Amino acid sequence: MSIERADIEQALDILGPGTRLDVLGENAELLRYAESEITAQHSERRLRVRVKVNRGARTAGGTLETLEPAAVKVLADRLTAALADLPAPSGEVEPAPVSSGTTPEVEQVVVEPARSVLDCDPAVRHEWFATVRDGLDDSARLGGAIRYDVLDRVVADSAGLFRSETLTKASIQAIAKQDGQSASVKLVHRDADLIPVAGIPARLRDALRPLPVREPFRGTCRVLLKPSAVNTLIATFGHWALGAQHYASGRSVLAGRMGQQVVSEQLTLVDDATDAAGLLSGFDAEGNVRRRTPLIDRGVLTGVVSDQRRAELTGGVPTGHAVPDGWRFGGDPVPSHLLLDAGDASEDELLAECGSGLVVNRLDYLRVLHPKQTLVTGTTRDATYWAEDGKLVAWHPQLRFTFRMDEVLNAVLAVGAVREIGDQTFMDSVVVPSLLIDAGPLVLT
Amino acid sequence: MRDTAETVLALLPADVQYGDIRVVRRTHEQVLVELDGPGEVGYDDSLGLGLRVLIGGQWGFAATHRLDPNGLDSVIAQAVGQARAAGGGGHVALGDPVTTRATWSSPMRVDPFEVPLSTKLDLLSATVKEASTAGPLVQQIEASIDLYRDEKVFANTEGALIEQTLTESGGGLMVNAGNGDDLQRRSFPQGVPRQIRGQRGDFATAGWEHVESLGLVENAARVAAEAVALLTAPQCPDEVTTLIAGGNQLAMVLHECAGHPMEADRALGTEASLAGGTYATPERRGNFRWGSPIVSAYADATIPGGLGSFGYDDEGVPAQRTQLVKDGIFLGYMSGRESAAALGDRPTGASRADGWQRLPLVRMTNICLEPGESSLAEMIAGTKRGILVDTNRGFSIDDQRMSFRFTTELGWEIRDGKLGRLLKNCSYQSVTPQFWAGLDALGGPDEWKLHGVPSCNKGEPLQVAHVGHGTVPGRFQNVQVGR
Repeated sequence: MSIERADIEQALDILGPGTRLDVLGENAELLRYAESEITAQHSERRLRVRVKVNRGARTAGGTLETLEPAAVKVLADRLTAALADLPAPSGEVEPAPVSSGTTPEVEQVVVEPARSVLDCDPAVRHEWFATVRDGLDDSARLGGAIRYDVLDRVVADSAGLFRSETLTKASIQAIAKQDGQSASVKLVHRDADLIPVAGIPARLRDALRPLPVREPFRGTCRVLLKPSAVNTLIATFGHWALGAQHYASGRSVLAGRMGQQVVSEQLTLVDDATDAAGLLSGFDAEGNVRRRTPLIDRGVLTGVVSDQRRAELTGGVPTGHAVPDGWRFGGDPVPSHLLLDAGDASEDELLAECGSGLVVNRLDYLRVLHPKQTLVTGTTRDATYWAEDGKLVAWHPQLRFTFRMDEVLNAVLAVGAVREIGDQTFMDSVVVPSLLIDAGPLVLT
Repeated sequence: MRDTAETVLALLPADVQYGDIRVVRRTHEQVLVELDGPGEVGYDDSLGLGLRVLIGGQWGFAATHRLDPNGLDSVIAQAVGQARAAGGGGHVALGDPVTTRATWSSPMRVDPFEVPLSTKLDLLSATVKEASTAGPLVQQIEASIDLYRDEKVFANTEGALIEQTLTESGGGLMVNAGNGDDLQRRSFPQGVPRQIRGQRGDFATAGWEHVESLGLVENAARVAAEAVALLTAPQCPDEVTTLIAGGNQLAMVLHECAGHPMEADRALGTEASLAGGTYATPERRGNFRWGSPIVSAYADATIPGGLGSFGYDDEGVPAQRTQLVKDGIFLGYMSGRESAAALGDRPTGASRADGWQRLPLVRMTNICLEPGESSLAEMIAGTKRGILVDTNRGFSIDDQRMSFRFTTELGWEIRDGKLGRLLKNCSYQSVTPQFWAGLDALGGPDEWKLHGVPSCNKGEPLQVAHVGHGTVPGRFQNVQVGR
C-alpha cells in the first residue's frame, strides 16, 4: 500500500509545528500449519500513523489508522488540549523533533524491495508447505508458519524531514516431530526467492536422526550453540546491554567500560542495517539515518546505539536506533540489525572441539532475571544432543539454563564460519554463526 | 459498524460454508508521569474489520483498516482467495451453530474517558511525588494510567449479530533504584514481565473507580522505600525450602502452569510454531494429578470487573465458567468452536482476538483458584523456615509448560513462624505438577483477589490478551529457591 506524500504533508499542516509522523503501511500474509495440515491463512492490511507533537518541552502523541483530514483534525485538537494541560517538566526534556536527515557523512541506504514478496501469491506458500511436508518421512509431523511481509515506511516532520522506504521479508519456520523428538529450521530473507526451501526437509531429516535418549547430564560441560541459539543469546544481550540509554543510566552491565575487554576476543559485533548479509533498513523511527555502528571489536567495547535523545554518547549524531513511540519493548534506543563476525571453524570442527558436551539448536523463552547482571533463564527446544568424542551420540532431554550472558560470551572457544539470518520479536535482523562455549558458565542442574 | 458487518456478509460468494466478521474500534488513552521527565499523554484510535471464511473445509482470513466499498471488496477477495488456494479437502467442524443476537456492555460507574486529563495528571503527579521521598538512590519513577475501550460488532452467516462495548481501566507505579553496583525495581500493584508501557499495573473491566481504588498515592512511598532497601538487602539463599507466594505472585504462576496449558488449541498442536504444546493432553483429562487435593482452578468470564470478562467471545459464544482442575485433578480446557468440536466438547467461550486484525485464538478469561481455609498470617506462623515472595519480576517456562523459573521483586525470610529480613533477587524453579503437589495451604475467601493482567502474549502474528486471575496466597513445600 503506497503512502502518498501529499497526504503526509496535509496531516503535518493540520497537526502544526513540532510534529513528527511515523507512518507504516503493513501488508502481512501468513500460512500456518500443524500436524502436517494447514490450520490458518491470514492476510492483513493496516495503516498505522504514529503522531508525536512536542511543543514547549511538552510531549503528546497518538496513533490513527487513517490519514483522512477529519480524523487527523480530531486528534490534533486533542493533542493541543493535552499539551495545554501538561505541566512543564522539571528535569531532562525530550528534544523537539529535528530534521536529522541532513546529518553529514552517511547517506540513507536505498532498499530495493523484493519482487518475490511484493507479488506474493498464496499458491507459492502452499508450494513451500507441500515441499517441506512431502520431503519428510511419513511418520513425521510438520508444524510452523510461512510469512510474507511488505512494510511501507514514512517518517516526516513539520521541519521538513521526509524519508520513505519499502521493506520486504519472507520467512519459513518448520518444526518436525518424529518418534517423540523434534527439530526446527527457520529461514528469513528479504527476497523469498533466495530462501532455500528445497533444502529444509534434508536438514530436518538429518536433525531427527535416530539416536538413543540419554539421562540428563548434571554439571558443566562444553556447549555448542548453533546459530538459532546464538541468535537468541546475542539479540537478548544486545537489547539489554548495548543501547545508549541503558549504558548512560548504569542499567547495562557494560556501563562505564567503553574501550575495555568485555567479552571474548573472538567476538566482533556490529549493528548495521545497511549490510546486505542481514535485513536492510535506511532510517529509524525518528528518521535518523541508520549507521553502521561497531559495538564490540575482538572483545573490546567500542560503541553503543543511540537516538536523538542520547546522541551525545555517539559523537553527537544518532546512530539510527530510535524505536517507535509506544513500542512494546520499551522506549530506549536498542540494537536493531546485529551482525556477529564469522570465524573460521566448520560445523564439524566445532563439534570435534566440543568433544564431550551438549549441542543446542535453539534457546527458547530466554528471559532476563537481572538486567545489570545479564542474568537470564531459558530452556532448550528442538534437537538438543549429547556429543562424545566429537560425535553426536544421543538426544539430551530438554533442559533449563540459568546463566549470566556476559560470562557465556567471555567463554567462547571457537566461532563458526557459516552465519544464518534470523529475527526476533524485539529485533529486526540478527546474523550469527555457531559458538562453542567452554565449560563453566553453563551449568546443567 | 453494524452496517459494515451486514454488508460484508451479504457480499460473500456462495461457496462460503461459514463466514464471520468482526468490526472493532479500539480506543486507548495513556497518561504517564515520570520523575524529572517530560511524561506522556497518548491517544490511540484503531478501527477496522477482520473477515473469516470457510471454503472446502479450509480457512481464509483477511483484515483491513479500509471500510470503504473498495476496501470491503478487497478484504472479501483476499479471505476467499486464501481459502480457495488451499484447494479444499479440509475437515473443519464448528459444532452447533451460533445464532445469538444481543447487545452487552461491561459495567462501570464512572466513564474513565470523561474524567478530565488534569485529574489524571494530578493523581499521577502526587504518586510520583510520594515515591520521590525515598531519597537520592531512586533513579526512575513512572506512574501511569491506561484506559481501553473496545466497541465490537460480531456477525456470522449462521445469523448471529452481537454488539459489545468493553471498558477497561488500570494504573500502576514503577520505581527503579540504583547505587552503582546494583539496580532494583519495585512495581505496584503488580509487576509486568518487562518494562512495557501501556501494560503496567492492575487493570479491571471497569471505569475510573478502579483507578481510584488502587491506592497509588497511598502506597508510593512504601514501594519506593522497598526499592531502595533492596539494594542493600541480602541475596535470597540457595536452598530447598518452604515457599509462600503472595496472591499477586501466584497469579502469574497460575497463568503459566494452568492457564496456557489448558488452552485447547495447544492440546491439539496448533500453537506449536510459537508457544508450543502442553503437558495437559486430552488422554490425561480426568486422571492427571496436577496438584495437591486442596487445589481447584477454573476459568470464568462472567466475573464482574474481571479483565477477562465479557458478554460473548469473538465467535459469539456466551461467557461462562469452566472447571479446569478439581481437587488436584486436571479436568478440562478453555476452547473455541473448532477446538471444542475436535475434542468432542461444547465450546467454553474462550475464543478471542486482539483487535480487528487478528484471528480469534483460544485465550484465557479469568483463571481463578478456589480459596482454601488458611490465611497468609497462619501460613507464616506455621512455617519454621522458608521464604515469602511477592510481585513478579520475570519468568520462563518450557514449551510444554512444565519446567519453570520465576523471579520476584522482593521476598522475606521466614524463621520460626515470623517474617525476617527482606531478601533480594528471589527466584524459584520447579516443574508444574511437582510444584502444585507441594501445595499444603491456601488463603481463605477473605484473601481472594482478582488481578487484571493486560499482557498475555500468544499467537503468530503475536496477539496480546487482557486476562484476569483470581488468587489467594499459597504455601508450597520443598521448593528450590535461590538467586
